[in-house]
Amino acid sequence: MLKSLGKSLLAVSALAVFSAVSAQAQTVKVSGFGGSDPVVVNGLLNDVLADEIAALGIEVEYAPTEGDYSQFILNALSAGTAPDVFYTDIFWSLSIFANGQAEPVKNMALSDALIPSLVDAFTYEGQLYSVPKDFNTLAVHYNKDIFDDAGVEYPNNDDTWTSFQDKLTSVQSSIDDVYGVCVVPDYARFAAFALGSGWEPFNADGKTVLDDDFRRAFTYYTGLVSGGAGVLAADIGEGWTGGCFGSEQAAVAIEGAWVIGFLKDAAPSMEYGTALIPMDPETGDRGNLIFTVGWTVNAASEVKSEAAELIELLTSEKAQQWVLEQGLALPSRSAMVDNAYLMGETAEQKANLAVFQGASDGNVLPFFFGELGGAWMEPINSALNSVLLGEADIDAALAEAQSRFDELQAD
Amino acid sequence: MKRFNSNQAFSGWMFLAPFLVSLGVFFLWAILRTAWFSFTDYNLFAEPNFVGLENFTSLVLDELFIFALRNSISFALIVTGAQTILALLLAILVNSAARAKGVARTIFYFPSIMSSAAMTLIFLWLFQRQGLMSGMVGNFVNLRWVILSFFVIAIVIQLALVAMARRKYIGVKLFDPYFLLISVLVALISAVIIRMGGFVPVYDEKLLISWLNTREVFLFMPRTLWSVALMNIFTTVPTLMLLFLAGLQSVPISLYDAAKMDGANVFHRFFNVTLPSLTPVTFAVVTLGLIGTLQMFDQVAILGAAAPLESRVTLAFYTYYNTFPPGGSPNIGLASASALTLGVLTVLIVFLQRRFGIKEKLE
Repeated sequence: MLKSLGKSLLAVSALAVFSAVSAQAQTVKVSGFGGSDPVVVNGLLNDVLADEIAALGIEVEYAPTEGDYSQFILNALSAGTAPDVFYTDIFWSLSIFANGQAEPVKNMALSDALIPSLVDAFTYEGQLYSVPKDFNTLAVHYNKDIFDDAGVEYPNNDDTWTSFQDKLTSVQSSIDDVYGVCVVPDYARFAAFALGSGWEPFNADGKTVLDDDFRRAFTYYTGLVSGGAGVLAADIGEGWTGGCFGSEQAAVAIEGAWVIGFLKDAAPSMEYGTALIPMDPETGDRGNLIFTVGWTVNAASEVKSEAAELIELLTSEKAQQWVLEQGLALPSRSAMVDNAYLMGETAEQKANLAVFQGASDGNVLPFFFGELGGAWMEPINSALNSVLLGEADIDAALAEAQSRFDELQAD
Repeated sequence: MKRFNSNQAFSGWMFLAPFLVSLGVFFLWAILRTAWFSFTDYNLFAEPNFVGLENFTSLVLDELFIFALRNSISFALIVTGAQTILALLLAILVNSAARAKGVARTIFYFPSIMSSAAMTLIFLWLFQRQGLMSGMVGNFVNLRWVILSFFVIAIVIQLALVAMARRKYIGVKLFDPYFLLISVLVALISAVIIRMGGFVPVYDEKLLISWLNTREVFLFMPRTLWSVALMNIFTTVPTLMLLFLAGLQSVPISLYDAAKMDGANVFHRFFNVTLPSLTPVTFAVVTLGLIGTLQMFDQVAILGAAAPLESRVTLAFYTYYNTFPPGGSPNIGLASASALTLGVLTVLIVFLQRRFGIKEKLE
């Protein structure tokens, strides 16, 4: 009797242990940027999507990384210690995709639901490798009080380069110690003008030619400082246009929606508005860049299907609606283009709308330069810097930049 | 006896083992791997393929590498030279301080305890185009006639006081501290009066000096690196000062006494007693300085976009730049070739210094 009871107990125990093991949730390791990003991801994982994640039967282990994320992920992928799900920035995406480190996105319904230009940005050799989680473009953010004090009309969506410069010059000449705009020698901002001129970074042969259109944009951009419409950001101790704007040293900033979060901290009481990038008076077009980051499944992951399911959740309409309403990022799903939130009247909502519209108005390209990566921008940045510092004239600076491109892109 | 020896050898190896293992793994193995990668096209992901000397050829043809080579060598020579001389002078100053030696040493050593990153950020602020350094230079330039007046008045008064005193007393020094104090005070008051009274022109030019963000080259080194050199010297001199201080305190007093008896003045004693006695320390300081400056990385890395790449690139940074090119794929083959070149260059320069420069021991 005792013997059979013991056997039964043993069997029940074994069954319990087996059940526990089989019911144990699969762990999906996720990594992302540091800074303020963990607030968003933690909000999604622990609040917004907690039930859905539990229903999938997975456990998420989230570890954000401070510092240079691209270096972290390249090292981790190379060493075989990378998480199952990680961020891929369009800027350095090629080094991940071309080296077979990303699992292709197999869910066609998901890729069809995304904004096509973002899908194109993360497509390598005809295959989508990352699911864009959000995006950003550049817009003109202006300080209403400064324009009111100067008695100058606010920048608006009908502005051309000329009218925009006139407004900035008027502001700068009207108020002491306030500049129109902070100018930075950085293609990531200058492109808003260069692309508007009709210039294409790579011609049909894949070469960069600094043609007359480029020169026109270059002359305009560098002339903002010499023409009394702006100041070199470094000259007033700032590294970006948003810094000058936040400290109310500049009337406008040319930045993406990321400036909204910055202003909440740096200038919470600032009354600001947002307009689209001004148009080139010759072409009537605007230029812009798309900055986007996607979720990627590690090709070496042992839980690929669970990781892909988690990414679908993280980029679901529910998740993106929450992120949008927090004013943190713009959605990557086409269905959310006409979202009621974007039609709102607050400064944040208007800024988000302008940034959203920037993706489809004029000549817009992803912030991506193929195999050359950031090295492609160096000749342009260097030329901008030399001219803005007065160390070279436009002819000499552009000639040197062209020669450096010729060298970089030599066959 | 034999067993005792073998036990002793075993113990010896056991004591050495931790160091041998770390040296083997982190130096020997790492250097062999780097050497192998320098002959391959390794990119962190794909299997490395042997490409012969292609990476070294690419290095020579890469303008950025040439900039890095020029910058590293010139930076090493300038900074090592300057910091050695300044550290020695500072050590002599601290060593000869009659009072508060401990306080003086602490104050002078202070810059060395700051982290390199924090110090670079502080200097980034100081070196802004409209920053403190530009302001100081601007004030100097604008007030040049007032400053000149100050020095002229101070010198005239000092000479007059010394001349008058020498009529009555023997042995009055040219830089007599009490006379110097009076001269400086009178010159200072006079300069203020000259400035207020507008007796000499005072300019109001706003100088914008690009200390970091510039492609200008001064002599044979970018102006950016001259600024970095200033920062580097500021932080390393105190540590080297301690080495010289230890060396100075081990020089026998009897040598100075004997020199004095032979009629040697202060300069003779410095060049014939102090400097030769400090030869082993100077050798160490110069060698450490050359190795440290040739491998300079952190300060230019922190500068980031605050300065153009070609103005701040060093060989160590070039290696890093090719390991993680912004937005591009890792080029480990080229980075390894560059790292190897830096290693060989460091050994070569240290060898040349030892062969033709300051020797390890006094000959």
